[in-house]
Amino acid sequence: MIPTFIGITLVGFLIMRLAPGDPAELRAAGGLGAAAGGGISVEKRGSVDEAVAQWRAQYGLDKPLHVQYAVWLKNLFTLNFGESFKDNQSVWEKILERLPVTVKLNLWSILVVYLVAIPLGIYSATHPNSFGDQVTTLAAFVLFAVPLVWAATMAIVFICGGDFYYLFPPGGLESLEFADDWPVWKKINDHAWHLFLPVVLLSYDGFAGMSRYMRSSMLEVLGQDYVQVARAKGLPEGMVIAKHVLRNSLIPQVTILASILPGLIGGSVIIETIFSIPGLGQLGFESVLARDYPTVLALFTVSAVLTLFGILVSDILLAVVDPRIAFGRRQQ
Amino acid sequence: MLARRWRFLFAILMLSVTGCGDKSEVKVADAPSTASAKEAGKPVTGDWLVIHSLSDPEQLNPLTSNDASSNEVLGFVLESLLTRDPRTLELKPLIAEARPEIAQDKLTYTFRIRQDARFQDGRPLTGEDVLFSVKAIKCPFVNAPFLRVYFNSLVDARLVDPYTIRFVTKEPYFLNESVLGGITVLPRHYYDPENLLQRVAVRDLIQDPAKLPGEVKKFGDQFNKNYSRNPMGSGPYKFSLWKTGRELELVRNPDYWGNGKAGIDQAHLDRLKFRVVNNFDAALVRLKSGSLDYMEALQPVQVVRGTDSERFKREFQKYEYYAPTYTYIGWNNDHPIFRDKRIRQAMTYLTNRQQIVKSVLFGLGEVVNGHIYLFRPEYDKTLPSYPFDPAKALALLNEAGWRDTDGDGVLDKVIDGKKTPLRFEIKINSGNAVRKSVALVLLDELKKHGIDASVRELDWTIFLNDVKNHQFDAVVLGWQMSTTESDAYQVWHSSQAANKGSNAISYKNARVDEILELYRGEFDAQKRIQLYKEFQRILSDEQPYTFLYLPKRVSAVQRRFEGVEVFPDGLRPVDWWVPSARQKYVTTVTAN
Repeated sequence: MIPTFIGITLVGFLIMRLAPGDPAELRAAGGLGAAAGGGISVEKRGSVDEAVAQWRAQYGLDKPLHVQYAVWLKNLFTLNFGESFKDNQSVWEKILERLPVTVKLNLWSILVVYLVAIPLGIYSATHPNSFGDQVTTLAAFVLFAVPLVWAATMAIVFICGGDFYYLFPPGGLESLEFADDWPVWKKINDHAWHLFLPVVLLSYDGFAGMSRYMRSSMLEVLGQDYVQVARAKGLPEGMVIAKHVLRNSLIPQVTILASILPGLIGGSVIIETIFSIPGLGQLGFESVLARDYPTVLALFTVSAVLTLFGILVSDILLAVVDPRIAFGRRQQ
Repeated sequence: MLARRWRFLFAILMLSVTGCGDKSEVKVADAPSTASAKEAGKPVTGDWLVIHSLSDPEQLNPLTSNDASSNEVLGFVLESLLTRDPRTLELKPLIAEARPEIAQDKLTYTFRIRQDARFQDGRPLTGEDVLFSVKAIKCPFVNAPFLRVYFNSLVDARLVDPYTIRFVTKEPYFLNESVLGGITVLPRHYYDPENLLQRVAVRDLIQDPAKLPGEVKKFGDQFNKNYSRNPMGSGPYKFSLWKTGRELELVRNPDYWGNGKAGIDQAHLDRLKFRVVNNFDAALVRLKSGSLDYMEALQPVQVVRGTDSERFKREFQKYEYYAPTYTYIGWNNDHPIFRDKRIRQAMTYLTNRQQIVKSVLFGLGEVVNGHIYLFRPEYDKTLPSYPFDPAKALALLNEAGWRDTDGDGVLDKVIDGKKTPLRFEIKINSGNAVRKSVALVLLDELKKHGIDASVRELDWTIFLNDVKNHQFDAVVLGWQMSTTESDAYQVWHSSQAANKGSNAISYKNARVDEILELYRGEFDAQKRIQLYKEFQRILSDEQPYTFLYLPKRVSAVQRRFEGVEVFPDGLRPVDWWVPSARQKYVTTVTAN
């Protein structure tokens, strides 16, 4: 795993650093704001080259690339991700500050996806090609096809205040009046109110994929001989499904779980940006635009670690759900 | 299906619960204020202002930050020696007692400092703090190179007595007073508690950094790292809290030293909250739903659609003013095609600037013909404006030798012995819909006349690199202008083309160079105006840029605020207040 990890960081480092664009020049032009806004400030430019060189030297960007990588890797092994170009703050602290937000958002949405999609998949598999199956399948795919940016913008315009309905807040994580001395129920209520739409929007396109996986893996298992045997024994259908079919058709879901772990911190750039949610997706997006190398590389490294870890966990879990899979000892 | 019904039920449920929980957010919509009655009266303190912010400030270090949001926030917290009168834009004293004494040789500037100014922690502000602030700027280890270049001509600063400071500059420069007056005064005891810079003098800091004592380096490192999120100064607002990506709060300092003093801004609002909403559509919705009070810049399309309902007009007042920035198309003057000024003139004749203002900006802008802010005395109103005139453009192109000799529909000419088609690329940056539309409008017109242009959209950082390295045929870009006296040396002097400075289009004109050099050392304002008028006429003839327009900015402010007024630099929330009867937010912990 260690060589794989170092390989990943090397590729990440090179991609980031060989991409065109220069953080020092960006600062000389007054940051990202000038891109969308009216213009670059003349006065701030001064004798740009001298200033740019000073700035680069301050962050060691004037050294050869391999030296920079070596320094970065060395720091990495002491868990030091360096300091952000943006504000000289520790990148690690910046990540920790935003981590809870993203994890909360994504845990809820994964939960919603599983809670909706698995029953849906089971229903479809147990009633294959029925009217209900077709309707739910259609609905899931229609949702899957709705672009997230569009859905989120529509939601904001129509049900988040403005000229139509004000059912949900159009962004943020808490109300303006949110105070630490509020009673707990009020705090929870406020958070739920703010999180509801982002969570729904983050989950809806996952219904199709997940319920399809569930449906097909269940249908496969339903055709197995041992299911026939179970039915022949006279077990009630519910028992057959719950005990014999469900557990055996969970294998694909477990594999998918591995990819969820990095997704937990990767966050959703679109949702976090549209709803002004200060999570890691937003941080990553802004950092890439600003060429904030230390932050981008740290986020990249963390998701690499989580991916590797996720694969390990799902391998172990597979052995738990499926006795046929074992680590070397006992082959079928 | 089930999920759908459930969601609907949940929505209703949440509505009824939040109906009591968040009353204050909704209340204003039900009870529109009666601002039209203007029962204004005397300003009172209280209430908050919730300001829309497109993004967090990068950081709040007073010297190392270099973006517009940081400047906006820090402007409430820190104060400088001099400031500008918002109406006349004349320099006026703030921390200094008066404008500086300027010596005969125009090299030495002496400021007397007020003895009654205090920092927000109650400690008095003295000359020592001013001297420290200068040292911090000049300290090579402080990560503020972009600010430092501005002070390159400052070679020494010394205290004459505890409340008098004398600056020595390298060369006479008419903007020196404004530059030195712009020094923000930082509390030494807060930013340098160990007094590490005490023993080093300002003139020492200019020498080789390697020779400086270790404590200077130590100061630089501490200053860079420890003061990114906790500014402190002498201004009317204290920094209170910053929830990353959500909001930043400033609280009025009840013990502000300037309270009740003539000529000093009197703050009334108890809190200023900068709420981050990183998208304009969502921000407008939040404004309407009451969780924002003030949007500084509505998008042009939002001004025309979305803010014209009766309800909106009842609750918000829109203010229009010209934002001091101009957009232009820069032609690479070194490019074989654009070397000839007739081609550049033709390009301007082919740019339908009136149409661009009308359709791209929804009429919210004004066509300009020069680089100076429209309302400055230096701006030459008699400059000829190039109308949209394709016939004239084609005549100019023909005169310059461009003809379609091979019948491929594209004009061509033999340049340096090689047949060259009239083909070029306009570079723009992504994320700016207005600049893109400008390029596309021009593109359409050029195609009609046998000019094969194309548009390439690049990521902002990549775009900046190409511009800096002169790797473009044409670019659409904007410059911020100064509403006060400006110095165009950086943008137009030929030396700034060779050193990859801001003259990215490589404009070179001997007379312009001469004017720019004379201008910097000219202390007579009238003579400076004459110099710049000549300069503008040269630019107008040569068309190194096609100057496009000055956009109008439209701000929306909740009607409960009084004292809102449009100044040349825009709105000034520091003046605003709310009559007691209309106050929406109550500060629970009284500041006193």
